[in-house]
Amino acid sequence: MRLSKIMQNDYLRLHQKAEKGAFVVWIAIVVPAELFSGFENVVYAVPESHAAMSAGKGVGPLQCEKAENNGYSPDLCSYARIDLGTSFDGGKDSPTFGLPKPHLLISDNNNCSLLVKWFDVYHREWGIPHFILDVPFCYETQKEEDLRYILSQYQDIIKIIESMSGQRFDYYRFIEAVQNSHEALFHWKRFLSAAAHKPSGITVFDSFVQMAPFLTSRGTKELAEHYRLLADETLENVSRGIFPVPDEKYRLLWDNIAPWHQLNKMSARLAELNANIIAASYTYCMGSVEGEIDLYNYDGADPLRYLARTQNFSVCPHGLELRFQSMKKAIASMGIDGIIFASNRSCKVYSLMQMDLLKRATDSLGVPAVMIDIDHADARKYTEENVFLRVEALLELIDAKRNALARAHHKEG
Amino acid sequence: MHAFDEIKALRKDISKTIGCFPLYPPLELFHSMGFTPFVFWDLRHFINSFNTADKHLQAYACSVSRRLVEFICSTPDDIIDALFMYNACDTLRNLPEIINCCLQEKVNKPRIFKMHIPMAPEEQTKTTDYLSGRITALIRELEESFGVSFSPERFRQSIALYRKMRLLNEKLEKMVAQNIISYNLFSLITRKGLFAKIENHIEEMESIAANHSSSPKNKHDVPTASVIISGILPPPPSLIDALENYEIRIVGNDIATQRRSYAYTPGDTGDPCLYYRDFYHHHFPCPTLLYKSDQRLAAIKNLIYNTRARGFIFIGEKFCEYEYFEIPYLEKKLREMGVFTLHLEISVDDESGANYMTRLEAFAELLKS
Ligand code: SF4
Ligand code: SF4
Repeated sequence: MRLSKIMQNDYLRLHQKAEKGAFVVWIAIVVPAELFSGFENVVYAVPESHAAMSAGKGVGPLQCEKAENNGYSPDLCSYARIDLGTSFDGGKDSPTFGLPKPHLLISDNNNCSLLVKWFDVYHREWGIPHFILDVPFCYETQKEEDLRYILSQYQDIIKIIESMSGQRFDYYRFIEAVQNSHEALFHWKRFLSAAAHKPSGITVFDSFVQMAPFLTSRGTKELAEHYRLLADETLENVSRGIFPVPDEKYRLLWDNIAPWHQLNKMSARLAELNANIIAASYTYCMGSVEGEIDLYNYDGADPLRYLARTQNFSVCPHGLELRFQSMKKAIASMGIDGIIFASNRSCKVYSLMQMDLLKRATDSLGVPAVMIDIDHADARKYTEENVFLRVEALLELIDAKRNALARAHHKEG
Repeated sequence: MHAFDEIKALRKDISKTIGCFPLYPPLELFHSMGFTPFVFWDLRHFINSFNTADKHLQAYACSVSRRLVEFICSTPDDIIDALFMYNACDTLRNLPEIINCCLQEKVNKPRIFKMHIPMAPEEQTKTTDYLSGRITALIRELEESFGVSFSPERFRQSIALYRKMRLLNEKLEKMVAQNIISYNLFSLITRKGLFAKIENHIEEMESIAANHSSSPKNKHDVPTASVIISGILPPPPSLIDALENYEIRIVGNDIATQRRSYAYTPGDTGDPCLYYRDFYHHHFPCPTLLYKSDQRLAAIKNLIYNTRARGFIFIGEKFCEYEYFEIPYLEKKLREMGVFTLHLEISVDDESGANYMTRLEAFAELLKS
């Protein structure tokens, strides 16, 4: 209830303010939205988040088809197709009546370079300036020179918005927004910590849907408060013995973006098997830096630097080694029994190293794992029966491992 | 000859080799520091199965990346000393670590160097210092790893060689447009150049230019229909043969291994930071150079204007999102100019062209109408 209200308010406020003349920026998911809080009358929209919501509400394929009918290949990321389809059709069939037209587009190439090409479509078609936040890929811990390069680009963003909108950047408003975001992330990590309990206090589906306001309300007090209440309520439920899958037998980890069109069906079917996906690389990365799962601490000293340091908070800009490191930590801290690698043809950045990750997880950590095929937002490319055949195979692998361990213990005994 | 055999044959005379991907690496720099650089691209002719790649990459990765993994992982020991890659697309950025996994078993693994080339337009972000830092760091890493050293004088000499090579490519491209040599021959030469010593490559191009008379190879010196082809890779020979059968002349190209690679060489300098700033800034537009997209339409219009092409064929690489995002807009704009367009998609499952021959024939009719 509270979540829907926040999301409704976010989109309502966005449309209302845009109508009254606010400067509108469209951003990629990991562009630090706190920067816009430094301005009196700048609002931002996140096409990826809107696409995820559209997929969740069942209109993903419809919007994808509109983009395809305009010549965009069905092999492109389904978020991009949903967004292009929605925009070309003036927001029709969108759960939020589309997004208000932007004055500025800001993409980045750390989540993926595809986003730059996607935003370029609007840049060309509508003649809207496009800022490309250029972020070096992380094969190792972020280097100081990369951080400085990112910082210099934040300064450029501020200058561009100042000159385009005629508004002054207020550093103190910005500081407050960064503090709010950090507080929100602190409570986000508390919320996720409920997964460590056996049985888990959450399912991954709870955390998937709860990510949404981080994208649309970043930097606000409301977000911090929402995550505080969410964490309090969830931990309270754990202490009262209330669990989403009470007879939890299998604790699973999900690697990839959420299958937005399947959340209810998938969670119900898993629960019938006493299986719970308790965590995902997609959600535990929020608030952390590369290779980590714990909160990256903000000491309040330099908010711009903090944002630049956490610019790579999502999984996509991390190399295989770093992804493996954080996965290993998640497996150990949450007692994971098995991993589902969701191979997502719509998101190559997330998926194209999964075959080696799977091998490393099984070979060096001994954790059973399977790969399933999904498309995070285009339901036409998803086959439930195939997916569950693989999931059931994973549960059998887990059982087999447990039985082998039990036999070994028995022998020792 | 297979690329491996070419490299093996060369290996006798050269001490250090570096395999680079994707297409626009700092070749002059490597050459000046004593390496023989190869560009691992256009591997269709050498790799036709994906036994190793399929263990590391899903089938929805483009054929370029799958072949690249297969190629590198099946490279015989001791012919490649180093690998170099820079950021180009979402698929490629995952490859260094994937390749590392593939090569795990090898005793003499090539050292992998990576570099981030700024992808923001200079008028938006001051990228110069960052790029200079990367070039300087690369030189230092090469020096430390291989005991080589950078010399401004040798760098100048290498620039001169690469300029010569690029100009010769332009010359051969013109000879294709004039029907003096075939596009298939031209493609073969550009492909061979990726795996050759620059000096040998220049020699071969000079001899082709000299040996072919300046008269067209058949009477049709004025083409009935002329096209520009565009894509990440040159089209398969079967497609070119079909074009030639329909008497369609390729009068220009916007192919990544060809025009996009040889269209520009910066001026002479001993400073690699200055040189590569100029090189990347003025590079011919390619969808993988994100900051160049604003100039792509103008560059293509210019090509059409200079060659008077009537048609434009997009050779799409299945699963290459970079090309795909630009095609609908370019098609629209070219049609507005009265240029006929055709969009073909090449996938590993259909490189023989069975699926698109009918469309090609219809397009040929249209061009000649
Ligand atoms: S390709 Fe992946 S990271 Fe890029 S926009 Fe699509 S879902 Fe997001
Ligand atoms: S063909 Fe496209 S997707 Fe494939 S490696 Fe090249 S740029 Fe990347």
